[in-house]
Amino acid sequence: MEDRPAALNRVLGLLRGRALTVGSIALGESETPGVRRITVVVETPDVQQTIKQLNRLIEVLEVTDVTNAEYVVRETALVKIHAPEPRREEIRTVAEGFGAKIVGISGTTVVFEMTDTPARLGEMIERAKVFGACETMRSGSLAMALGVPLPPTETPAREEAARPWWQADGAC
Amino acid sequence: MTDARSPFSVPVPASGFPLPASRSPPPASRERTGAQVMCEALLREGVEVMFGIPGGAIMPFYHAMWEYRDCLRHVLCRHEQGAGHAAEGYARSTGRPGVCVATSGPGATNLVTPIANAWMDSTPLVAITGQVSSAVLGKDAFQETDITGITLPITKHNYRVTRADDLPSVFHEAFHIARSGRPGPVLIDVTKDAQQAKVVPDWNVSLNVPGFSRDTGAGMRDAVKQAARLLANASKPLILAGHGVIISGATNELRVFAERTGIPVITTLQGIGAFPEDHPLSIGMPGMHGWVHVNRAIQECDVLINIGARFDDRVTGKASTFAPRARVIHVDIDPAEIGKNVKVAVAIVGDARAALLSLIEETPPRDALVWLQNIRDSQTTHQHRQPYLRRPETTELMPHDVYAALNAALNERGGYRVVTDVGQHQMWAAQLIEWRRPRTHITSGGAGTMGFAVPAAMGAAIAHPDETIWAIVGDGGFQMTNQELATINQEGITNVKVAIVNNGYLGMVRQWQQLFEGKRYSGTPLSGPSFAGLAEAYGLRGFTVDRIEQAHDAIECAWNHDGSAVLDFRVEREANVFPLVPPGSSIGEMITREAAQANG
Repeated sequence: MEDRPAALNRVLGLLRGRALTVGSIALGESETPGVRRITVVVETPDVQQTIKQLNRLIEVLEVTDVTNAEYVVRETALVKIHAPEPRREEIRTVAEGFGAKIVGISGTTVVFEMTDTPARLGEMIERAKVFGACETMRSGSLAMALGVPLPPTETPAREEAARPWWQADGAC
Repeated sequence: MTDARSPFSVPVPASGFPLPASRSPPPASRERTGAQVMCEALLREGVEVMFGIPGGAIMPFYHAMWEYRDCLRHVLCRHEQGAGHAAEGYARSTGRPGVCVATSGPGATNLVTPIANAWMDSTPLVAITGQVSSAVLGKDAFQETDITGITLPITKHNYRVTRADDLPSVFHEAFHIARSGRPGPVLIDVTKDAQQAKVVPDWNVSLNVPGFSRDTGAGMRDAVKQAARLLANASKPLILAGHGVIISGATNELRVFAERTGIPVITTLQGIGAFPEDHPLSIGMPGMHGWVHVNRAIQECDVLINIGARFDDRVTGKASTFAPRARVIHVDIDPAEIGKNVKVAVAIVGDARAALLSLIEETPPRDALVWLQNIRDSQTTHQHRQPYLRRPETTELMPHDVYAALNAALNERGGYRVVTDVGQHQMWAAQLIEWRRPRTHITSGGAGTMGFAVPAAMGAAIAHPDETIWAIVGDGGFQMTNQELATINQEGITNVKVAIVNNGYLGMVRQWQQLFEGKRYSGTPLSGPSFAGLAEAYGLRGFTVDRIEQAHDAIECAWNHDGSAVLDFRVEREANVFPLVPPGSSIGEMITREAAQANG
């Protein structure tokens, strides 16, 4: 997706307009300047139709369906747990068993971070609830197909000094 | 231009106002305001007329517009909805983008209906709205509205411009998007400070839309060959022609293809005019108010080729029951329409004209005479029974009398276009007039926007000053936008003739209430003024017709009158449109007039 104003609004608006449910969204930069990647988990009765609808948007450069391909999926979760001193060791051990690590401590709470498949995150969070997890936050899934990298997204060559009009200061 | 009878007429400005020092375009290197750049950008895109209403946030643009008024005409309307529909009428009658202008806040939101209408009917439209100054954006300033946010789902694309430097590329891109591929509306929101800022415009802009232009021609050859094979072997083939044929300018190619293959041709509501109805292969309109013989032919056919129609639910009825015996070939420039409502055997993605040229080459000549004769026999049995017949106890003017008179006048004189509004009168117009040329039938289909016709007719009249533009409206739709009669008067537009099919109801809703809701006429009886009197009050000619013998004369008189006119045809109040496919039914299950009368 081109990094144009309101591009994300348009993508999400379209999915909503077609009455589709969005499970998660992750948006960030890509290897090409001026191009961002969104990973969206969507429930749709007709994948091909949804892809064609998304392709109608001006800013959308390419849509790939990874559902049936070989792909890698990862998501990050932050979990804050009440961890008073006596229980801390126990919690830490369980966390390490999942591959989660402590990223913050304050008073009686501890914040863990874990990056894994959504399914594993789900298991970890279930376990964390037993310990009285008081806040969980998930980032949304990133998915990438294995194999040959997608061809470099073609954005027209731009001179170094000139930026596309929508990237200028004050543009919205 | 002025009408002495109207006390508030405004003379079109003559030489009393100062003109710009130089009429030729200023040298490219000279600095000018964003507003002037906007005017020049419009001229560069070939725009000749815009429809709009000024306001605070768009005043700088109006200030600049004055200097270009000898080559860029502005038509002041009475409601922005009228301005938007006028731009649509201009666009639908010419194929070129229509331009409408409004200020921020309520001016912009009043454009939402025409923009949504253009979105549904694939009309090229560029809407320009003023926006509050960027310094106060997001602070709930006076007349501030997030119009770009509001129109996200109903525009092909939209822009909010805060820097005058961006104007050349934005305008160029906007027009390209509006008119290319499947046409549609684009909105450009320009902040007041961007209009006022002084810049030296850089016109050396290349289009920068990598996500837009996708080459759809590549796989066409193979798909066309497949389609040709299917068509060559079909025993009951049909062509369904839609708006895409007209947009693509492919009416000649369609005729050549049909004649080469002998395949009967059906035109959808928006495809009317794509194929002349006096041609031996033309069989009529399908769908909810289509003819019995057409719907039956669809349900029996074995190959259906759809060129430029989108299988709208008004055409298909219950989609899963549509054309059950047919293998469907779908030609459309928008890949997202193919397979959306109806499963297809062969998909041909691309421009209708290109596809037809290819099909003409690949499909061997043949005919389908027996099949066509079957359809004609069915037509003879069913069609003549559908027009409304006079109830024995009345001698009132019937809607179909009006259409018979109009049809005679239209096809005798030529040189016309017709714009219809929405409702029963719209369906009768589609059914009962013999349509022969493209862009002569202009209507709001996908959105079904009442109030479309009068302003859209005005837009078409400005685009075609040598033709007569008939607007056929109901009394309900007329009252939604009749304020534009004042615009017609002020602009000195003399070639609009409005025929009101006046039954004192919101007729289509009343018909459904009669057929499906036990005649509970909730919210449908509708009063109105004396329409002829109202027309005269606006400085136009008015006629009231309530007897059949008056109808022909009134039409002749109005047509000959050197000025715009309104004809109030007071018709039988509870006439119904037949046949009808009830919602959710298959198009094979039509309610015909006899069946409805038998059931009381």
